Amino acid sequence: MGLAMPAPLAGRRVLDLGALCAQRPHALAASMAAKLCAAYGAEVVRPLPADGEPFASLPPLLPDGASALHRFLNAGKRPGPATGWFDAAIGDGAALAAHAAEVPVKARLSVFGPDEPDPPMSELGLAALSGLLGIVGEAPPAPPSRLAGHQVAYSAGLATCTALLAALRAGGEEVVDVSLLDVTAWLNWKVAAGVMVIGSAPVRGNAKATWFTVKARDGYVALVYQDKDWPPLRDLIGDPRLLEEPFITGPGRGANRAALLEIIGPWFAARTRAEITAAAQARRVPIGPVKYPVELLEDAQYRARGFLAPDGTPSLPVGWDGQRLVREVADAAV
Amino acid sequence: MPQSDPALPLAGIRVVDLGWITAGAASSTLLLDLGADVVKVEGPGAPDPFRQWEGADLGTDWWNRSPFFAFTNRGKQSLCLDLKDPRGREVLLRLLEEADVLVENFRRGVMASFGLDPAMLRQRFPRLVIASISSQGETGPDRDMVSFGSTLEATAGLAALTGAGEAPVITGRDVNYPDQVVCLFAAGAIVAALLERDRTGQGAHLDLSQRELTSFLLGEELIAAAAGAPSPRRGNLDPAEPGERLVADGEGGWRVEWPGGSAPVRDGVALAAAEEFVRGTAVLRSPDGSPAKGIPFRFARRPLAVKDSCHDLGADNRTVLQAAGFAAEEIDRLEAAGLLATAPRTAKRG
Repeated sequence: MGLAMPAPLAGRRVLDLGALCAQRPHALAASMAAKLCAAYGAEVVRPLPADGEPFASLPPLLPDGASALHRFLNAGKRPGPATGWFDAAIGDGAALAAHAAEVPVKARLSVFGPDEPDPPMSELGLAALSGLLGIVGEAPPAPPSRLAGHQVAYSAGLATCTALLAALRAGGEEVVDVSLLDVTAWLNWKVAAGVMVIGSAPVRGNAKATWFTVKARDGYVALVYQDKDWPPLRDLIGDPRLLEEPFITGPGRGANRAALLEIIGPWFAARTRAEITAAAQARRVPIGPVKYPVELLEDAQYRARGFLAPDGTPSLPVGWDGQRLVREVADAAV
Repeated sequence: MPQSDPALPLAGIRVVDLGWITAGAASSTLLLDLGADVVKVEGPGAPDPFRQWEGADLGTDWWNRSPFFAFTNRGKQSLCLDLKDPRGREVLLRLLEEADVLVENFRRGVMASFGLDPAMLRQRFPRLVIASISSQGETGPDRDMVSFGSTLEATAGLAALTGAGEAPVITGRDVNYPDQVVCLFAAGAIVAALLERDRTGQGAHLDLSQRELTSFLLGEELIAAAAGAPSPRRGNLDPAEPGERLVADGEGGWRVEWPGGSAPVRDGVALAAAEEFVRGTAVLRSPDGSPAKGIPFRFARRPLAVKDSCHDLGADNRTVLQAAGFAAEEIDRLEAAGLLATAPRTAKRG
C-alpha cells in the first residue's frame, strides 16, 4: 500500500452548472473548474438540461461518435439534480441564481465582470478583445492565429478553481467572480503592460520575434533561443554567412528572417526533429520538436511520469509527493 | 512582517518565493493577492533575471528600475541573501521553520546544489508546501531538457494544432503562454495543498510540469488521438462554432464575427484604451501609481487589491531576519560578510 491519496476537497460537494450556462465559453470554463475540483477529491454533481449533456456532440469526436471533449471535461462527475447540500457551485450568473441560491461559495463566470452586461461572446471573440489573438501568428498581412483548443475558457477555469479553493479555505459565504476577458488579458499582460509601462506594445511578427517554427526532415522544430544562445546555435549550423551582418544581432535576424531562413533552412530540413533537438540541447539551446498529440501518447517523458492514461486522458498535471491524483468514481457521467 | 488582512483566504500564510521571471514569481504574486505574506529571496550573485532590462541606465540602481520586474513582484518583501554560501543556506532554513510555502522554478538540480533538495526539506519541515515549477517535471528522461515557454508549446502538442498558415505557430517571447497559464494552476495547487494540510497536518512537495499542464489543456485532443481520431490544425476555425469567422476589417486589421456578435482584433494600444479593460482587473495600479500585474478574479465579500508597490532589492533584509528571530549582531555579521546585500554582486547587466 502506498500513502493515502491526497484529497484536499474530500467530503466537499461541488455543483457544476457548466451544462446550464447560457454561453459556451462560460460552460467550458465552469466545467474545467469543476473537473479540477473533482481531481482534488470533491464530489461533483452536474445537473443536465432537458435535452441532455451539451458537450456530448461537440468535437473532437471519437470514431464511435462520442465526444472527446465531454469525456475529458466530465469524467468523474455525477450527473444529477441540484438538490441537497453543496459547499460550492460554479456557473454563470443566471444558473447560479436559479440553482445555487443557498450554496455558500459561488463561482460566477462572466464576460466582463460582475457589474457588466454579458453580451453574446465566443472564445475567439474573447481572444480578439484581449489582444491575445492579435499578438500570435505570422507578421501582418498574415492573419493572427488562435491558440488551439479551448485555452481561453480553460484558463478561466483554472483561475476559477484557484479562487474557489481559496474561498473554501477562508470559510463562510463568498461569491468569486471570474471575468473571461480579465483572465485572457491577464495572460497577455506583456502587450497591455508594454503600452502602459514602456509606452509601446509588442506587435505580431515584430523585429524581436525571432522565435518561430522551422521545417525539419520529419516535421517542425521550435526555434527558440536567447541572445546568449545565438553563438552556440550559429556554430552548430556552421555557415560563415551567419557571422556577418545582418545576422549578428537579434533585431537584425528578426528583420531579415527570410534571408536567415535561406541560410539555416537547409540545415534544419536535412535533419530529423530528434537530431536537431539533441544537437541543440547538447549546447543548452532551448530548441524542441513540434509534436502531435498522437506522438505524445508514446512520449518517453510522459510515460516515465505516468502522465497519460491508456485512453489518452491526462492526469491532473501535478505530482503530489510523487503521486498522481487518480480517482475512481462510481456512477460517473463518463 | 506587516500584518496581512485577516479576512483574506491566505491571511497568516508565509511564502518564501524563490521564483524567477513569471512562472514562479507570478504564482507567488497570486498567493500574495489572496492574503499571504511573501518574501522574495534573491541572491546577490543571482538576482531574478527579470531585473535586467533593455532600458537600464548602468549608472543607476538599474536592478530596482526594471518595469516588468516591478509589475510582477509588487508588494513582496525583498530579501537579498546568498544561498550559495552555507551560511546563507542556514538563514534560509531558519526562515523555512516559520514558513508555510516555498515556491521555486530554478533549473532542476539547482535547489540540490544549494543543499536545499526538496526531499530533505520535506523531511525537515513536514508542514511545508514546496511548489517546484519546472519545464518537464522533477523526474523522467527529459528532466534536464532546456526549454522556454514556447519550446513547451511545441513539445506539448499546442504548436502542432495552432496556426492559420502552413507552419505550426508558437506564441514567442511576447506571450510564452505556458509561463503565464501555469501561474493560474500552480497557485491553485498550492492552495489545495494548504487545504490538505488543514485536514492532515501534512505539507507536500508539488511537482508542477509546465509541459504537462500545456498538454492537459488539450486533453480532449489527446483522448481523440488515442482513439485513432485525427488531430487537424484548424487555424482560426472552431468546429464547435461553425458560424464564426475572422475577416479583414479593410484597414489592415481583423475582426471576429459570429452569430450574434463581433469583436475587433485588438493590439496593445487598443486593449489598453478599451473601457472594459480599464474597468477590469487584468492590470491594476500599485499604490505608487505604476501599472501592476492584476488579479484574475474578484471576491465579493473580501475585496482583493494591489496593496503595496515593488520593494527595492534587499529592502527588507533586516525586517525579515528580525521577524525570524535573528539578533541585530547576527544580521550585522551577515551584512559584513556580503551574504546580505542590496545590490547585485556584479552590478552590471548580464
